[in-house]
Amino acid sequence: MNREAPGCLWERIEPLLLLVERPSRYIGGEWNAPEVKTGGTSVALAYPDVYEIGISNTGLAILQEVVNEMDGAFAERVYSPWVDMESEMRSAGIPLFTLETHSPVKDFDIFGISMPHELTYTNILNLIDLAGLPLRSGDRSEGPLVVGGGCGCANPEPLAEFFDLFVLGDGEEALRALVEVVTRAKTERWERERMLQEASLLTGVYRPLAYDVDYDADGIIKAVTPAAGVPEKVRKNVVDIDRWLYPRRPVVSFCEAVHDRLNVELFRGCTRGCRFCQAGMISRPVRERSAGEVVKLVDELAGRTGHEDVSLCSLSSTDYTRIVEVARRVAEICAHRRMIMSLPSLRMDGMAADIAARLDRGGRGGLTFAPEAGTERLRRVINKPITDADMVDAVLRAVRSGRRRVKLYFMIGLPTETDEDVEEIGRLVFRLRDAVRSEGLAPPSFNVSVSTFVPKPHTPFQWFAQEPMESVRRKQGILKTELRARSVNLSWHDREMSEVEGLLARGDRRLAGVVERVWALGARFDSWSEHFDYSRWTEAWLAEGIDPEHYIRRGRDAAEVLPWDHLDFGLDKGFLLEERRRALEGECSPDCRDGVCVECGVCDALDTRPALKGPWGASE
Amino acid sequence: MTAPEELRLRVQLTKKGPARYLSHSEFSRAIMFAARRAGLPLEYAGQFRARMKLSLSPPLPIGVTSECELVDFQLAGYLSPVDAQQALNEAFCGGIEVVFCRLMGSGERPVGKLIDTATYRATFPEEAGAREEWERAVAEFLAMEVVEFERVQPRRTRTLDLRPGVHSLELEDGAGDSPVRIHMALDDGTRGTIKPWEVIEVLARMAGVPRETWERALVNRLGLFARRGDRLVSPMELGSRKPAVSHRGGKRY
Repeated sequence: MNREAPGCLWERIEPLLLLVERPSRYIGGEWNAPEVKTGGTSVALAYPDVYEIGISNTGLAILQEVVNEMDGAFAERVYSPWVDMESEMRSAGIPLFTLETHSPVKDFDIFGISMPHELTYTNILNLIDLAGLPLRSGDRSEGPLVVGGGCGCANPEPLAEFFDLFVLGDGEEALRALVEVVTRAKTERWERERMLQEASLLTGVYRPLAYDVDYDADGIIKAVTPAAGVPEKVRKNVVDIDRWLYPRRPVVSFCEAVHDRLNVELFRGCTRGCRFCQAGMISRPVRERSAGEVVKLVDELAGRTGHEDVSLCSLSSTDYTRIVEVARRVAEICAHRRMIMSLPSLRMDGMAADIAARLDRGGRGGLTFAPEAGTERLRRVINKPITDADMVDAVLRAVRSGRRRVKLYFMIGLPTETDEDVEEIGRLVFRLRDAVRSEGLAPPSFNVSVSTFVPKPHTPFQWFAQEPMESVRRKQGILKTELRARSVNLSWHDREMSEVEGLLARGDRRLAGVVERVWALGARFDSWSEHFDYSRWTEAWLAEGIDPEHYIRRGRDAAEVLPWDHLDFGLDKGFLLEERRRALEGECSPDCRDGVCVECGVCDALDTRPALKGPWGASE
Repeated sequence: MTAPEELRLRVQLTKKGPARYLSHSEFSRAIMFAARRAGLPLEYAGQFRARMKLSLSPPLPIGVTSECELVDFQLAGYLSPVDAQQALNEAFCGGIEVVFCRLMGSGERPVGKLIDTATYRATFPEEAGAREEWERAVAEFLAMEVVEFERVQPRRTRTLDLRPGVHSLELEDGAGDSPVRIHMALDDGTRGTIKPWEVIEVLARMAGVPRETWERALVNRLGLFARRGDRLVSPMELGSRKPAVSHRGGKRY
């Protein structure tokens, strides 16, 4: 740990540590925490949630290493202080600090903030404020560039006024390029304006205030006009993950993290084309990592961290072309090192269950599947055509391999959903239970987790209205009646949180005032049910004269200019509209891994191709 | 031929610097991860989720530093204590350092079932009042037959008698302007636990020192022992061929 850095706040922070819960959140110095070589261009990388959650984020871990390997640049970590620490910091006048050198974030050149989901937006404003910076980009004439990245950049418009720049898509190359521009700006003493202007010309870098948004009388966007010299559309970044083998030295937290394991990426992108799934749409095309590199990374990182668990992660791990081979080899490493392998994001089909049953020891107690909808019809609407027979097969295999718990993820509020579809969720769970019984096996316990569908930008469902709260309540009531059994544990997503997510997910710049007011009313950690307070949001949108129904409940016209239309994730709007049509007709679309192009437009727009490391389907 | 005896590696660690802010569960996690990184030939229990077989000395309150934290690892094979110490030292960070390693048979009691006494030194800030006040408080404390203390815990508050758990208490010698230092040997482990802060609070009350001042004292755990009669025996000596060493008569760990 470097306590020699100029401006180090450690001496003032240390006396607060015995006054707060879990002081280890603020001490840094963990295993593999980099010894940063201060000097040069400095980057503070922040996750807008508490340490235990932020430390599990692989994206920031990768970016920190990428910067720290550059000459003349270094990166440090920042997390949201928990509410007790925030209050101690504010009363002691201590600004937001980094973990490696405990330096004020205000003294850095770049302040990168991850935008994982909508309910962190108030925490993001809090980070900017705690750093001692003016909230709005227009009010900042000095201090670090505030840069956003992550999934939230699919539509960062509600936060457009608070950020100087956003990075769309993969961050590895974009952040390096940005650091280079800032380094040049520093040596050549550019004005801030010139630095921002030059940065906005980099691939995937979006400078929101260089785009003017005009609205018509109904509050619908008339046009988004770019300033002179900036591109009309900002195109996302795509990297080849076989050339970016990171993270190499993941930090091992002292405390138990939410995802307390080694994460090794199998691939980025997903081509299944589930129509509700934003991650699968905005991260195309699919890019696999070579099997050899995956296996090598697992072995090296296990030795460098001491982790007991390894997760081969991606958006749909059993789709990896070399999954059987890689899972077998990783299982061997695990047996040798006394580790446990898990495969998250399994599709509910026989192959996934088979691989999991044979090799995945992670959930010895349980296995998780996401059928999403209760009827085959609705599953065709969302383009996740798993049959009931597939599910029975998957659950039987899971139980035969000794699993005692099965977790099932469903959504309610999907387009075209009827009460019958919801009732069918209950019946499906019991059919699965009875199928196990009829084989003479003891049925597992079922954890049924039901979330509320929130339409997301850049998906075929981006034009649909979100289900009204009252109707969600009724459907949750149906589930409660249907799923009354000792072996079934039902949980659902907070309706009011879904409203806020719905508002911000498809929001525009006029929501800046709402987010700022909610933050000023004291909102922190909105994704934590004990801290979320819906009344702050209702109060804020009333005070700001914003009609939430306009954003949440309004079906959009196909011709409407959407707030994120100028952000180009490579998807062709015609493809999304065609997918919407097929959804309404209950038609499925193929997976482009099968060799049938669905013409999503990504390959042409981004001049790239899917990168598979083996013949698709060979593993079956 | 008889099967070789199962081996246990007993390690003495420091917990200083940033590590003093680790809770007991965070500290034990740090130990397990370091042992895996060090590549020790560890013994595991459990079929699917393997659990490392280890035994830890009694928890240290957050904020207290220590010269002596003990851990026993059950080994699956031989490793020389010198190699173990080197491998472990390379695998620890943040103020945790290996002081000493020794191998022993697993017939001995593990540290978790052995330790019953801890010694501490509390060093008070300059404003903590005159030595005489503290001297008087220590004498008064030792003369009492019962020292009542209200222990507040998350789920219950109870009054207990600290006196039987305090085995020694003395003000360390020092020149007039050197900081006040108190040395104490307290019950910690198998026979119950008296926390150093509890004794300090009672003494400070007697000496008329306010909470804001005594709370800033630095407390350091010096050693962990098993009591044999009125002798304190180091767990590093137990089970060896050498005779147990007595630490009566002023020698401190």
